[in-house]
Amino acid sequence: MKDGLVFDVQRFSVHDGPGIRTTIFFKGCPLRCPWCQNPEALRPHAELAFYADRCHGTGDCEAACPRHALQRGTERIVRERCDACGLCVPACPFGALQKVGRSVSLDALFDEAARDRNFYESSGGGVTLSGGEPTAQMEFAAALARKCHDAGISVGMQTCGAFRWESFAPCLPLLDFIHFDLKIMNSEAHRAIIGADNQTILANARHLFDAASTVLFRMAVVPGYTDTLENLRDVASFLHERDVRTIHLLAYHPMGESKLPRLGFPISPLFSAETSGGSRSIDGARDFFRSAGLEVTS
Amino acid sequence: MSTAAATPTAIDPARAHGVAEPASSAFPFAAAGEAPATAAAAADELTVSERVLALDKEIRATPRSLCAERAVLLTRYFRDETPWSEPGDDSSTMVVKKAGAMGYLLRNKRVCIYPRELLVGNFTSHRVAGGIFPELHGLAMMEDLFRFPSRSLNPLAVTEEERRQLLREVLPFWISRVPAAKALPLRAQLRLGAEQLEPNFYLINEIGGISHFVPDYQGLVTRGTDGYRDEAAALQQHTEPGSPAFKFHEAIRIVCEALDHFAQRYKEEALASARICADPARKAELLEIAEVCASVPRRPARTFREALQSILFAHIALNIESLDNSVSPGRLDQVLGPFYERDLAAGILDRNGAFELLGCFALKLCELVPAFSRRGTRFHGGMFNGQVLVVGGTDRNGDDATNEVTYLFLELMDRLRTRQPNYSARLHRGSPAAYRLRAASALARGAVSPALYNDEVIVPLLESRGMTKEDARDYANVGCVEPVAAGKSFLSTDAALFNLPICLELALNRGRRLGKWRRIGAATAPVEQCRSMDEFLESFRAQVEAGVGRLLVDIAAIERANARWNPTPVTSMLVQGCIANARDASAGGAIYNGGGLQGVGVVEVGDSLAAIDYVVFKQRKATLAEIVAACRVGFRGHEALRARLRNAPKYGNDDPLPDGYVGRAMEIFHDCFAGKLNTRGGEYTAGFFSVTSHVAFGKKVSALPSGRMAGEPFSSGISATNGMDRLGPTALLRSAAALPLHRAHNGVNFNLQLAPWIVAGDDGARTLLDLIEGGFDAGCMQMQVNVYDTALLIEARDNPGRYPGLLVRVSGYSAYFDDLSPEMKEEMIQRTQHDGASCRS
Ligand code: SF4
Ligand code: SF4
Repeated sequence: MKDGLVFDVQRFSVHDGPGIRTTIFFKGCPLRCPWCQNPEALRPHAELAFYADRCHGTGDCEAACPRHALQRGTERIVRERCDACGLCVPACPFGALQKVGRSVSLDALFDEAARDRNFYESSGGGVTLSGGEPTAQMEFAAALARKCHDAGISVGMQTCGAFRWESFAPCLPLLDFIHFDLKIMNSEAHRAIIGADNQTILANARHLFDAASTVLFRMAVVPGYTDTLENLRDVASFLHERDVRTIHLLAYHPMGESKLPRLGFPISPLFSAETSGGSRSIDGARDFFRSAGLEVTS
Repeated sequence: MSTAAATPTAIDPARAHGVAEPASSAFPFAAAGEAPATAAAAADELTVSERVLALDKEIRATPRSLCAERAVLLTRYFRDETPWSEPGDDSSTMVVKKAGAMGYLLRNKRVCIYPRELLVGNFTSHRVAGGIFPELHGLAMMEDLFRFPSRSLNPLAVTEEERRQLLREVLPFWISRVPAAKALPLRAQLRLGAEQLEPNFYLINEIGGISHFVPDYQGLVTRGTDGYRDEAAALQQHTEPGSPAFKFHEAIRIVCEALDHFAQRYKEEALASARICADPARKAELLEIAEVCASVPRRPARTFREALQSILFAHIALNIESLDNSVSPGRLDQVLGPFYERDLAAGILDRNGAFELLGCFALKLCELVPAFSRRGTRFHGGMFNGQVLVVGGTDRNGDDATNEVTYLFLELMDRLRTRQPNYSARLHRGSPAAYRLRAASALARGAVSPALYNDEVIVPLLESRGMTKEDARDYANVGCVEPVAAGKSFLSTDAALFNLPICLELALNRGRRLGKWRRIGAATAPVEQCRSMDEFLESFRAQVEAGVGRLLVDIAAIERANARWNPTPVTSMLVQGCIANARDASAGGAIYNGGGLQGVGVVEVGDSLAAIDYVVFKQRKATLAEIVAACRVGFRGHEALRARLRNAPKYGNDDPLPDGYVGRAMEIFHDCFAGKLNTRGGEYTAGFFSVTSHVAFGKKVSALPSGRMAGEPFSSGISATNGMDRLGPTALLRSAAALPLHRAHNGVNFNLQLAPWIVAGDDGARTLLDLIEGGFDAGCMQMQVNVYDTALLIEARDNPGRYPGLLVRVSGYSAYFDDLSPEMKEEMIQRTQHDGASCRS
């Protein structure tokens, strides 16, 4: 089994499924939602993050880099040269350089995921595979799910739905629940904004209905993107089509913003826009779905 | 949020007990599939009565004062009635004299029944006050006599008259008679006296008297003083008059009389008040009080109310007899449960009536405050008396012991949030779901009580120190967190606090404080010669051994002095074994004896050792000598090295490296005295709790390799260093569970602070309980949970007096935030608040 690439393991997650859970964030995502809250999740390879506020300019890191990818100044990392080998990370006394994304073997990740077993047992919790997009590392994610499942640990998955059904299907019986994120229903708008087709995603959603697995559809309410009346209507009718009763709404917080410069992303226009309408927006969406006869959780 | 924390507000009935039953699971701690107790169903009908609310308000509003009465009466007794010390006296003479003194005190102290009271008995001559113990630590305390009223922290009022009495009568009499250090040669006395005023290495609390026990209130309410008197008289038949045993039993008889007489005085006071009482309802109450006081403590209690009144009289006497600290009522739900059932069946009591009496009892315990000097306050801040009241757990056979009174106490601690008693709840595998959830919901709502204790860890631990299985199952904790076999132990559980990080400082510098030339510790190798962690650990061990060695010599002298000069006959009556052994508790009469020594700063040591191992031996980014040089100057000019040290793995993140070193530090401390007996014939045991000494000792110690700056507090007990537990509460709990807790016979304190929004609502209480159960299943021993937003503490710090009722869990006990020292407030503000957002690897 090839190693997996994860960028975070969050313990004591109480919002990623029932009970106390450990959420595994896989690195790499096929979609590019402009409102992404985890920009460090996007690229399918390790990266070097630079926390400019921690840097004291000591220069220790520069000497440690074999590729001369570090320079003075606030940018510090010359991304074209850096291959995220991580050698500079321990060189910095202030922890200003951090590797985002670590390769981890199946056994090691399972051990980590199993650490909070006492708490899964007391709370009915378990492990949640998330990301990024866990299905982008399908083989590894399925193997982890299998290992947990065999050890009696409940596993759930959070997915954007952009996967190949055939490779996903064997994993299905191992999952106690799936959180499936709906975004923009109109294909063209989806392609224009997110940069990918949504036909596979919606087809997968339908497959999941048919497989009668425990799926919770979720939607991040992003002002101007997912909360348009047209999109809300499309979501509601899509759910009605298969007699789904519940939708889970996620409030949008522009928390990805502070993470962007660390990873060398330009600040996305969304983050500089006026986004304070978040809570109003979720109220509006909640009212809409309720009047459409859906149960709304958040 | 703020108002909820500040005042005991009305409860949402749906939340009281009726919170949803947990999903059944294979989890052993959640295995009890029992129906909720009937108490649970009826909880919503309980109300905190007008009377209790009024008493609470009065007590809170009363300025705390110093009471000279005890000191003055004791002085007069030994000046006018019986000479303190005559040639030929020994401890057996002294025990009779002390019994006589108790008689004199209880006959002459002011007796007072306050309006609306149902349970009577005043600890001191003022409503809320602390007594003075001139024969114990009282003289040292009097150094502050002129400062008490005006000091900013914990001011205590002193009347002119009382100050005069203290200065004219008390001080001159005792200055030449203070016995505490008499067992030492004069020079050692002077050294110890000076050291104990400004302790660097250790603070010997036992200098101030012992107390720290759970009296056998079960025995008292079933036997009455009559029972003890008869037993003592019967034993006297077989002993030579004038023999030590005879005299000891004589002392028991004297204190039985004294207690009876004390109750009689309240009977008379109640009758006198009733005669002039215009309000017929109150008059009836006073007559009832008189009737109760006519019977107990002399006779076995017949009712719930008599049981509480009997206990209260004894509790007052015990707090007057010796140090008024950590006389812990213990498992009162167990003692009171049968009375409650009987009264209910007889139709003479209902739930609300019992609830009101428990409220009255709890408020009585709030009328006592400790009179510490400023110096004492640094180590024992927060005005707590350590009166631990334990609920839940198992009975002596190992079956669940939860009863209706257990639930009443749980309601009480949530709805009437008082400084004392110090509530604890025991959890075992068979604890009912409703019980666990009610304890968790109180905590989730910010009650900061109860502190939680894991029977599955503690019972085997007590067995391993030689207690029987039955006695171990019948444990209650003392003072803060120290588990003892209730009613049978005299373990001096807070005999001394030992500063472990100072030993680390000495190990860094060949037995010298950093920046000092004089060697005060063991002559260990210079760090330049340490080529491995093992070698450095050896230096540390040698320093601890040297410090503990000195402590043991000093403490043995104090123990002998206490046995010789401060026998405690009332205590001895209420600790099983003393009467049968014809020996005072202070001389080893109890069934179980011991002395508890606390290793303070064990996490600081572990984090420092881990940082050395990581940076010097693993990363090879610095040498030990460089670290020492940086610590010597408080890291000035060594910011990069300090950052590196701080970024090294820290305890509290489920990381075996630092957790292992904290464990090593615990083992080293434990091994220094394991198996050694004190002069009472019991073993010294290790505790890892700190009261507020982690702040006080922290002030004395240089910068250390963990990256901690000079003077900063250590972590409290076995809690993580503030801000260093970064992976969330589950990782933190796993770290705590990974420690060698089987070395902590004398208990640990472990703090967990959660943001209110993480545990809001019914789901929140469930989440909190999931955490608690998971932690206990992983092997945690003790846990105290603070739920509040740090922002509130900051506001309370900046606006003293605005949140007078803001109760916080310090380390093993609760205190009003306003009662804490500025340093301690800061320490609490710095604690990691787990909000579920910061659990990232
Ligand atoms: S080593 Fe760290 S602090 Fe020094 S220049 Fe590099 S990033 Fe900045
Ligand atoms: S990660 Fe490797 S290549 Fe990139 S800057 Fe650091 S040392 Fe250089």
